[in-house]
Amino acid sequence: MANPMNQFEVKTIGPKIEIGNFDISFSNASLFMVITVATISLLFIFATQKKSLVPSRLQLLAEMAYEFVAKMISETAGSKARPYFPFILTLFLFVLFCNMIGMIPYSFTVTSHIIVTFALAIFIFIGVTIIGFVKHGFGYLKLFVPSGVPVVLLPIIVVIEVISYLSRPVSLSVRLFANMMAGHTMMKVFGGFVISLGLVGGWLPLGFSVALTGLEILVAFLQAYVFAILTCIYLNDALNLHH
Amino acid sequence: MELKELKDKVKEIQSELKEKEIKEKNANPLGIAMKMGTEFVAAVFVASFIGFYVDKWLETTPVFIIIFFIIGSVAGIFNVVRSSKMINKD
Repeated sequence: MANPMNQFEVKTIGPKIEIGNFDISFSNASLFMVITVATISLLFIFATQKKSLVPSRLQLLAEMAYEFVAKMISETAGSKARPYFPFILTLFLFVLFCNMIGMIPYSFTVTSHIIVTFALAIFIFIGVTIIGFVKHGFGYLKLFVPSGVPVVLLPIIVVIEVISYLSRPVSLSVRLFANMMAGHTMMKVFGGFVISLGLVGGWLPLGFSVALTGLEILVAFLQAYVFAILTCIYLNDALNLHH
Repeated sequence: MELKELKDKVKEIQSELKEKEIKEKNANPLGIAMKMGTEFVAAVFVASFIGFYVDKWLETTPVFIIIFFIIGSVAGIFNVVRSSKMINKD
């Protein structure tokens, strides 16, 4: 029977390309990232082509995505975060579509690889840190010094706060990756049960499979939402420095 | 007249959706547990990582990895408390 982890294997498509020590060949992961970006772009291009007052379904979909993210940003990070709206919208749509396209049978889930989610998270982390220092100068370091702490405890608290700050990209990326990988592995395992138990006992795992698929679609959306909202929260820390 | 009716209907559906959203936010204990877990583990992981490399650098294995492991655990608990506070605020 097929190994449940086989679905996560990265395979090279086409010729092998190397620059220095880096293998930058086009793989199935790259292919699905291209598909994701193309799907989002096409969706938005077609949806906004005919800007009617009473929107078509496609236009409604695009408007809903836009409003959803706009609301999320204004609720969590305030009006100061408005310039970063394009970035958050792109991020949210990219993660969402990667997750959702991964739900199609025989496709590849890009976000089930820690290196992809970690690259996104570390980019956000470095970006937010730079924004913080640009907006507040060295005053941004006050983030690590909570108010009302006795001077004796200060050295320890600062170290703890710094580690807690550094752990952000790790927890952000691990959460998305772990959810996607666990979900897809579980679906594959239950799918395997259906085959191996056959006509007699396969009905129960089949039911589970159906339920899990529903759950996975919810998780796919939820994790994209969580990823975007945590980015907003980190951005909020950088823009509105307070305790 | 028709437009007004439509407007009312949209408002009704929107408020229903909002209620549903709030319910869904609260009714996801597994997601919250998962979040807490990663928050805690991430801090321990990062701190231990730093400790390991400080040890390697100063050749003092295992002094700093132990110290940083403890600090990381504390930072992890900090993270968990902070995110649970955030959930309660919502």
